[in-house]
Parts: sequence; C-alpha cells; structure tokens
Amino acid sequence: MATEIGGEQKRFVSTTVEIEGREETKIVEIPAFDPAPWGDNAPLGIVGTRSPRVDALEKVTGHARYTADTQRPGMVHAVLVRSTIPRGKATVDVTAAREMPGVLGVLTAADIATTLGAPASRLFDANVTYTGQPLAAICAESPDLARRAAAHVRIAYEPTTFAVTFDAAMAPDAPPVRGGTSNLALKSPLVAQRGDTERGLREAQATVSATFRTPVALHTALEPHGAVAEWEGDRLTVWESTQGIFRVRTNLAQAFKLPHTHVRVLCDFMGGGFGAKAYAGAHTYAAALFARTLRLPVRCVLDREGEQLDTGNRPASVQRVTLGATKDGRLTAIVCEADVPLGINGWEGGPARIYHELYSCPNVKTTETFAWINASAMQAFRAPGHVEGAFGLERAMDMLARKLAMDPLELRRKNFAATDEEKSRPWSSNQLLECYKQGAERFGWHWSPPRAPTSASGSLPASGFRLPASIRRGTGLAAQAWPAGGGPPAYALCRINSDGTATVLAGTQDLGTGSRTVLAQVAAEALGMRVTSVRCVIGDTERLPYTGTSWGSTTTPSVAPAVRMAAEDALATVLEAAAEMLDVPATTLSSRDGTISSTATGRTMTFAAVTKTLGEVMIIGRGSRGPNPQKTGIYSFGVQFAEVEVDLETGVVRVLRIVAAHDAGRILNPTLAESQLEGGIIQGLGYALFEERVMDERLGMPLNPTMHDYKIPTMADIPRIDAFCVAGADFMANHVGARGLAEPPIIPTAPAIANAVADALGCEVLEIPLTPWRVLDAIRRKADGGSRAGD
Amino acid sequence: MHLTVNGRARAVAAPDHATLLEVLRDQLALTGTKEVCDRGECGACTVLLDGVPVYSCLTLAVACDDVAITTIEGIGTSGEAHPMQRAFIEHDAAQCGFCTPGQVLAAIALLERNPDPSDDEIVEGMSGNLCRCGTYPKIARAVQQMARAAKPDHGH
Repeated sequence: MATEIGGEQKRFVSTTVEIEGREETKIVEIPAFDPAPWGDNAPLGIVGTRSPRVDALEKVTGHARYTADTQRPGMVHAVLVRSTIPRGKATVDVTAAREMPGVLGVLTAADIATTLGAPASRLFDANVTYTGQPLAAICAESPDLARRAAAHVRIAYEPTTFAVTFDAAMAPDAPPVRGGTSNLALKSPLVAQRGDTERGLREAQATVSATFRTPVALHTALEPHGAVAEWEGDRLTVWESTQGIFRVRTNLAQAFKLPHTHVRVLCDFMGGGFGAKAYAGAHTYAAALFARTLRLPVRCVLDREGEQLDTGNRPASVQRVTLGATKDGRLTAIVCEADVPLGINGWEGGPARIYHELYSCPNVKTTETFAWINASAMQAFRAPGHVEGAFGLERAMDMLARKLAMDPLELRRKNFAATDEEKSRPWSSNQLLECYKQGAERFGWHWSPPRAPTSASGSLPASGFRLPASIRRGTGLAAQAWPAGGGPPAYALCRINSDGTATVLAGTQDLGTGSRTVLAQVAAEALGMRVTSVRCVIGDTERLPYTGTSWGSTTTPSVAPAVRMAAEDALATVLEAAAEMLDVPATTLSSRDGTISSTATGRTMTFAAVTKTLGEVMIIGRGSRGPNPQKTGIYSFGVQFAEVEVDLETGVVRVLRIVAAHDAGRILNPTLAESQLEGGIIQGLGYALFEERVMDERLGMPLNPTMHDYKIPTMADIPRIDAFCVAGADFMANHVGARGLAEPPIIPTAPAIANAVADALGCEVLEIPLTPWRVLDAIRRKADGGSRAGD
Repeated sequence: MHLTVNGRARAVAAPDHATLLEVLRDQLALTGTKEVCDRGECGACTVLLDGVPVYSCLTLAVACDDVAITTIEGIGTSGEAHPMQRAFIEHDAAQCGFCTPGQVLAAIALLERNPDPSDDEIVEGMSGNLCRCGTYPKIARAVQQMARAAKPDHGH
C-alpha cells in the first residue's frame, strides 16, 4: 500500500476513517510491509473456524476480573449524590454527611473550581440542568458507610422552569437549557440532500407519508460504569470499565493537567458497554480526586439508578417520512424530517444517514433538528441514529410496498444501491442481494398479492393447528447498512516467547464482543501456531501499543490487520533463525500447528525448539493498520425477517422467529459472529417491544431507572433465531478481509418486527415500543376507520 | 458471624444489615458473584443456599449462618470445570460474561430441582437471570444439552 510519488516512497499519508457515521481525516503511517490480502480462497485453517472463546473459562468460573471486582490494598469507596430536579440552583450542605462515621472526604463544586481542567472543570456544578446530575461525592471506609453518609447530604433547590421534550424546548417561552437564546443544538437544522426531492415527488406515481416515533432507550450494560483510582507520586493509575482506554487516559490527563504518560488506564474484562463507556465520567474524576487527597486507592462504581439515569441513552426521535416511487416500485424521492431531543449534551448521531445509504434513489433529502433538553446526555448506543432511522425508513418502505401491491422484498431488491450514491463512490463489497436471497430462503418468505379486505386480516398459520380467535400472525422484513470499515491508527506487537508460545500485545478492549479471541486466531493463523499457544494481552495504556476506542464496529477491521502484520513480522524473524539452525534458506520454510518445516529438505523444527536454541534472544514483530482505500464506502449490510403473533384482545406481541442474513466480509469466527448477531437482534427486540425511558414531563424526572421498570428482554421473550453471515471476504477493505459486525444486527430488528405486526393487524404501527397499549391503540384507530398512514 | 462458604467455615465481621452479596464480595473477595441491580431484579448475584438459588443482594448475611453457601467459585474444581460450565463454554454461552456466574448457578439449581425439564421449563427456570448481551439462545442450548445428558436414556 506504500504510495510512490515522483519515485519517492511516502511514509505518511492522509486517510479517511468513518466512525459512527462521522468521517475523520487522519495522517497515518504507511506500514513497513503490506501482507497480501487473505482472499476467498486463502488456505486458512484457524481464521474462520469455530474456535472457542479464549477467555470462556475465566467467565464461567467467575475468575474473570472486571473493573467492578478490582480490589486494592487499603481501598476505600466513593458514591455520587445526584440532583432530584431537572433544572434550578442547588445549595449543597455536606456538614452532616462529613460528620457521619467512616467518612473520609466530601467533594462539591467548590472543590473542583480550581482543581480540574476541562473536561471535568464543571463537575458537581450547582446549576442543575437535568435530573440525576452529580452534585457531590462522598468517600468512606465502606460502600455502605458512603451510601449512609450520602443520605445526609442536604440539598436545597431553587427550581426553575425546564424543558424535557423537543416541543417544550422549541416553544417560544422555553427556558434556555444550556444558556444562550435558543435550544437548537449543534448545526440544526442539519440538511443533507442529493438531487431534487420536489421533482422526485412530482414524478412519483405512488407516495406514502407517515410520522414515526421512537423512544429513549438506555444501554443498561450489566456492569455499571466504574473506576478504581490510585496514585504513585504524580502518576495516576485508573481501572475503568471502558470501551476506550486511551480516550479515558486523554480525559484524565487533561482534567488533572498531567502528561499523558503519567496516566495509566487499565481494562481487562468488561461487562458490556454498547457505546456508553467511551469516556471518563464523574465517577472517574471523583475516584481520582479522592485518591490523590487521601493517598489511598478509591473505588467509585455507579449504582443501578445512577447507571440508568446518567450514563447515556439513545435519544428519542420523531421522523416525518415521505417516499415516492414509480408504479413498478423504483424510488423517485426519499424525504425525512427528524426532530431529535438530545439531552443536555450530545452529537449529530441522528436518524438521517441510513435514508441516504440503503437504497438507490436520485432524490434524497433529510433535515434533522436537534434540541437541547433538560435530560441526561445522549451517548452513542449500538448503531446510533441508524437504529432510529431504520425504523422510519423501513416502516415507510413497507407501507409503500402495500400501496404498490408489491412484495416488500421485491421492492427492496429493486432499489438495491449498487454504489454509495450519497458519496458517489463504490462499495468495497456489498452482498445485500445475497443476504436477501439466502435470508428469504431460510425464512421461507412468501408474499401473495393482497386480497379484498376482510374483517380479519393477517394470516393463519400454515399448519392445521388453529389459533384462538383473537390471535393474528404476520411476517415482515427490514434491511440495514452501517459503516464498518475501521481504520488506522492501530498498532500491535507479537512477541515470541522463550517457551515457543506467542503473546499479542494490543491496547484494545473486549466488551464481550470476542475481540480477544479473534485477534488470537488471526495471530495463530499468521504464525502457523495453535490458538492455544497464543495469548492476547489487551487493555493497558502504559504497556501496550495504541489502538482506538472500541466503537463504530471498528475493532476487528482496525486491529486484526495490525495483529496479522505483527505476527507475520515475527514469523519472518523466527524463520530466519530456524533457517540458520536447519541450514536451509529461509524462503523454503513455512509453519503450521507450531511446527516449522522446510520444503527443501523436509526437516522440521517446533517453535519451542527454535526459541530454546535462541535462549534469551527475543523476537518481537511489529504491526500497524494501513490506510483505507480512498473513495470507497466500507459498509456492512444485512436483512432480517420476522414472524410475530399478536393478541388482538390484550395487545401483546410475541415474536415467533427471526431469520437474519448479514454481510460483514470475512467472518473470523462463525460462533462468535452468531452470538453477536443474536445479541443485536435481542436488543433490537427489546427496542421494538419493551424498552423506553419514561419521563414524567411534569416533574422532569425519569420514572423507571431500575431493571424492573426499564424492561430488557429475558429468556422468555426470545424467539427462534436463525442468524448467519453470507460468505465472502472483503479484500478491498483490508488484508484480513473482515468488516465490523457489532452494531449492524440491532438495526433492522425493530422495523422487521413492526412490519410483521402491521401485517398481522392489517393496519400501520407508527410508534415503538409496541407495548400492549400502543398495539390496542392501533387496532382501535383501525376500527374507527382512521387513516392507515395517519399521524 | 460464621458462614460456611464453598465448604469452608469463614469468620466474618460485618454489620447485621450487611447483605450476603456485600459480605461475599467485599469481605471474602469472592467477586465472581456480581452486583448489577442490588434489588432482586436481575439474578447476577445468584448463589446457592443448601442448593437453592437465592438473590444474595436480597439476603442478609446473618440469616445464612446455618446453611451451606455455594458461590460460583465453589462450582467445579480448580483442575476441572463443572459439566455445566463446560457446556457453557462449548455453546459460547457467555459474551461479556458479567451475568454468567449467576446463569451457571441458576442452571445447576434448575437441573437439581427438575432433572428432566422441558424447553419451556428451562426458559421459565432461567428467566430470573438477565443478560444484556443477548446470550439467551446459547445459554438455553447449554442447559438443554445438560438436561439431555442427565437423562438415563439420553440419545433417544
């Protein structure tokens, strides 16, 4: 990939990396050598196999140590005290709390003012801007004593008017949520368009319009956000449950005005993140501050209420969608206007982008209006924006298919985007059509032209079994696109140990995705060793080379190529050493299953024998992630089919089965890929049916910050799931051939389920989650003769 | 107070209101038992009392002085994992792994109480243990395999 300009090799070039829909241009180093891509026919024996998760034993035995499990000698405990109103001025009295038994310290805004720099300089700000905002921290000998003392912090509020909904924030008399004169956030209205949608709608022979609503969803990772902090002189060590150890390091170095290298961030095992754990938080700064003052290790792990109130969310959206098409089903216009109340902070992770990406259409226009509201900040949540957008777009496509009396699968096939039309560039690879084909086959997708309306719409099951009269079944599908190419910078080292094993060193994270496993597989493959001979060390900013935050489905496509290169670099040196020992040219040597053999003489030697002979001579291979191909859209794609059962009397929806066909390039481990697909589908099912932060608009307070009242799926909610990836390496994307797969599977699940519910009911459903009330409401509107697509 | 944890007698100094979860994690460093919701909603803190699964976050430690407490650290031996743990590994029934100790204990207790559960009974028996990664299909498969293996006439 080294670029030659005027006969001279450039070491550094600019490249574009796309993360969570945001493009960043970076200057990156060209790798010293570039392994040949592993194409479809590469003779791979470990990559692509169902190798067991390398850390499964630690997990099933409880030996895996998570941040929340960290214990340090003399460790003491901190808790946060939060506001119980959405907006106003707080006067925090910690006198009584300070006198409580076992209390070692208290922090309020007064302690922060001159202590911490951005991004923590406004920690514990007494100007309250949302319910759940941290106002103080207490440190005590035990978590129990800290909690007891926290109950004695007296807070007097001077409440002021607030806005917790988009409409309230946009009202003429709205209070300034973040100061200034307007609650319009970021670059609102954010308009993106190609072509001329007005012309597209004039040319349309069929149009549909509807307004769709999606809820605020909470990440609800089982391991809460948490940190343990400890100082040695002016060096800070923090164990943090995070998706980005290097980003947390940057946050802490800035806040404490320290050189980056004086901060060490560690994260070995991690109990889920789903996007919410990318930065240091109030708990991190509080733990580090207390630890510095007390000269003791301090642990601050959020309780569940704090986790649900204040660690991020997928913001709600209202999407007004209009689609236009010719009568044979070619899209002529896609229009979406979206309102997104972000919270007190956030970024432009809105619903718009998938409207530009998923289908071929000459005229597309999206307008997003973001608002600040007095609620906790949004954070990226598994495919931020696309999950919301897919609900609007894919529900609207379903309505269009019905209007055209066309198979919704055929409608999607017909509008397949063979290129990235938004950016006028090719895809690195796109097997969505193959996903449609294989998914439809495995689901047994069957569509027949609509009959004359009958009193009971929906279909009966094919078997002779008769359902109760109130039960209707329906089927639906929805598709997905998501940027998943990753990119530089990412580095790895591969150390050949004196016992003939290898250690991969890469400063990445494993959120439960299995990155530790697939990276070990890639190294084992490149080295010609068994996976059991490779150990993957991750999660340490001091002792491991840099890799980026694990978000945007970037870890595998970013880090795996660096690991492969490091392993090949190490292997080349091992083979040269073996060549000397075997007295053959190194070019005749290759390795497999831990044994090096010569094609010239047939002589063999194990890695262990080579390293034993070398003694303490250490071989370390170095790898880095090269630039992405320019002007290429690197996306993962997929489609999901759902069959549901709806009880017309109770409004209860039961998902019977989901078939998911995805394309993420080469699958490094089909078992882990299936687990990730199933997990995304199940989170998508929760989003479709149950999950919703309920905000009391009168009090400005979330009503359900518990796992009892914020409903995530249980085993009893799970349908039969048949999830798989279509075959095919993406050797345009990177030389390993893999793209990201973590986020894509959550994208199409909710619209697929909602489309199936609409099919069962014979009327449109416009709002999720599809709780019984909403389903009964849709049935009632239909009975009242309300418009199918009304809003 | 005196507790019997994983077959060992342990003397613990803890206040009367301390939960079993707090004592296990903070005093005995048995951190395989996880704290997630701290109010009996998720099952991550599941331990066995005389073989019966309980939420240790809702159990007072002082109430456990004459029962055998089994945590995930007491399942299997240091040399060999319990067959249920092996089934979890085989079926990739752990993603992030944070709920896994509770799931393993709930599954063992389920088969203890009902050696021949139907698939529906497995679902019912495991529904008190939440998993946010969505590993449920794999967990169900691991438990189903163990249930089949326990049947005298397995293979039919």
